[in-house]
Amino acid sequence: MVTLTIDGREVQAEEGTTILEAARESNIYIPTLCYHEEVTPYGACRLCLVEVARNGREKLVASCLYEVAEGLRVKTNSERIASNRKMIMELLLARCPNNKAIQDLARQLGVEKTSFKLEDKQCILCALCVRVCQEVVGVSAISLVNRGVDRQMATPFYEPSDVCIGCGACAYVCPTGAIGFEDVGDTRYIHWPNNKMEFKLRKCKTCGNYWAPEKQLDYIIKKANLSPDAFDNCPDCRD
Amino acid sequence: MENYSVYVPRLVTKRENFAPGHRACIGCGEALAVRLACKALGQKTIIVTATGCIEIISSQLPYTSWRVPWIHTLFENTAAVASGIESGLKILMKKGRIAQQEITVVAMAGDGGTSDIGIQALSGALERGHNFLYLCFDNEAYMNTGIQRSSATPFGASTTTSPAGKVSIGQVTWKKNMPAIAAAHNIPYVATACPSYPIDLMAKVEKGAATPGPAYVHILSVCPTGWRCATDLTIRIGRLAVETGIFPLYEVENGKYRLNFDFPKLRPVTDYMKLQGRFRHLSEDVINKIQQRVSAEYAELKEKASEGKG
Repeated sequence: MVTLTIDGREVQAEEGTTILEAARESNIYIPTLCYHEEVTPYGACRLCLVEVARNGREKLVASCLYEVAEGLRVKTNSERIASNRKMIMELLLARCPNNKAIQDLARQLGVEKTSFKLEDKQCILCALCVRVCQEVVGVSAISLVNRGVDRQMATPFYEPSDVCIGCGACAYVCPTGAIGFEDVGDTRYIHWPNNKMEFKLRKCKTCGNYWAPEKQLDYIIKKANLSPDAFDNCPDCRD
Repeated sequence: MENYSVYVPRLVTKRENFAPGHRACIGCGEALAVRLACKALGQKTIIVTATGCIEIISSQLPYTSWRVPWIHTLFENTAAVASGIESGLKILMKKGRIAQQEITVVAMAGDGGTSDIGIQALSGALERGHNFLYLCFDNEAYMNTGIQRSSATPFGASTTTSPAGKVSIGQVTWKKNMPAIAAAHNIPYVATACPSYPIDLMAKVEKGAATPGPAYVHILSVCPTGWRCATDLTIRIGRLAVETGIFPLYEVENGKYRLNFDFPKLRPVTDYMKLQGRFRHLSEDVINKIQQRVSAEYAELKEKASEGKG
C-alpha cells in the first residue's frame, strides 16, 4: 500500500494501480471516455488528465495511465487542468458536434461552443471497442486502420469479418454510441462507423423465436466443447 | 431487441453499491434488481427507500448493505422525501454551500408503497417536476408482512388476504396499471424492466437517472416466497412474464411508447402461471379470461408503440 494525496485528501492505494483507480475508489470524480476497468488503459481521450507534483515539479499526466507512488501529490481540479480539459473537449466537440454523449460531457465541463472547424463524426477513435474485442471477447475482429487524419475504426480491409461473432460488446461499450446494433426479424445488424455486417439468427426449435446469432453459438460450442445440438432451444425452452 | 449476451455481462462494473450479506430470501428477484440498479446508478447517488422488503432486508441494525447515502422513510412519503432532498441539494448548490455537481436522487419502494399507500406523494412529486428517479419494485403483494394483497396483485392470485377456496378464486380485481398512471403525468421518462433482462434494466435505470425531470421505472421482481414458486426459477419466471405478454417491457419517452422486446408470437399465459403455487387453483375458464385480457392489453400497447413510430 502507498499513501498519496488527491485534492488534499490522503488516499491509500495498492501499488501498481493508477491515479484514476485510486480517485474512483475515494469517490473523486475525474471525467473519462476511453477508460474501462476490464481492459488495459490506453490514454486516448486525454480527458482524465490531472496535475502531479513530485520532487517539486508539477506536470500534467493522464491519470488512467499514471501509477500511484508514495508521497505523490495530485490535483484533479485546477485552472491549468480545467483549461486543458476544455481545449480537449472543444476538439472532441468539433469532431462530433451532433453526438449526444459528447454534447452532454461538454456542457458538464462548461464548453458551449467550439472554435474549430466542424466535422460530422460519431467515433472518437478511443479504441475501447478494439480493446474489448481483443481482451474480453478474444477474437480481434475490429481494429484501428490507417494513420494520422485517415485513422478509422474498421474490420480488416473494410470487409465482413470472418472471426466476428456478433456479440455486440463493441456496441455496448462505445462511449459515444457510434456503433449501431439491432435485431430485425431473423437478422442482426451491426453498423460500425465505416462498414457493417449482418448475422443470421438461430430460431428456437420449440417456441420459434429468434434468439442468438448462429456464428456466436457455433463459437461457444467450439470453445466450451459442447454437443452440436446444445443450443437448439432458447434459454427459456431448455429444461 | 437488445439481445446482448455472453461477453457484455463481463463489461458491467464489478463495484457493488448494494453489498452482499443482506437478509433477502433465497431466489429474491427484488434484491437482484436493487443490486443491478445500484450498479447502474453509481456512487453519486442518494437513495430513499420506503418501508418494505428492501428496507428490512438491507438494514438490520447494526449492519447495512448500502454503500451510498441512504435514508429510510415511511410507506406514504417516499417521493415527498426524495423531492425534499432534491430541492435541498439544489438550493445548497445555488447558495454555494456545496460545489455544483450532479447528484442523482432515487426513491425506491415496493408495489404497496407505490400503487397503494405512496401514490399521493408520488403523484405530487411527478406533477411538481422534481429531478429524481422513482423505482418501483413490484412483487405483486405486501410480501414482508406476510403476503397480503395489494392493488398490484394480479387477478386470480391467492394471497393471505385474498385466499383461494371453495367460493373465492383469489384476487378478484385486475392489477393496477401503475406505469400508465405515471405516464399520464406527462413526465419525460417511464419504463418497465425486469431483472431477468439485466442489461436492459441497467440501461433503463441509467437513462432514467440521466433524464432531467422526474423518471419512473417499474420493475417486476419475482418473489419465490410469496408466489409459491421454486427458488431457482426466479430468472425464468421473469422472462416468461415478458414472453407471455403479462409484463411487457416498454419505454415511454415524452409520451412516445416503444416496445423493447417484441416477440413474433406470445407464449400462452399458462407457461408463466403453471410454475407458481399462487395460481394453481385456477380453473380453465379463469385462465382463458386472463389470457384474453393479457392479449387485449398487449395489442393495445402494441398499437400505442406503432403510433409512437409514426
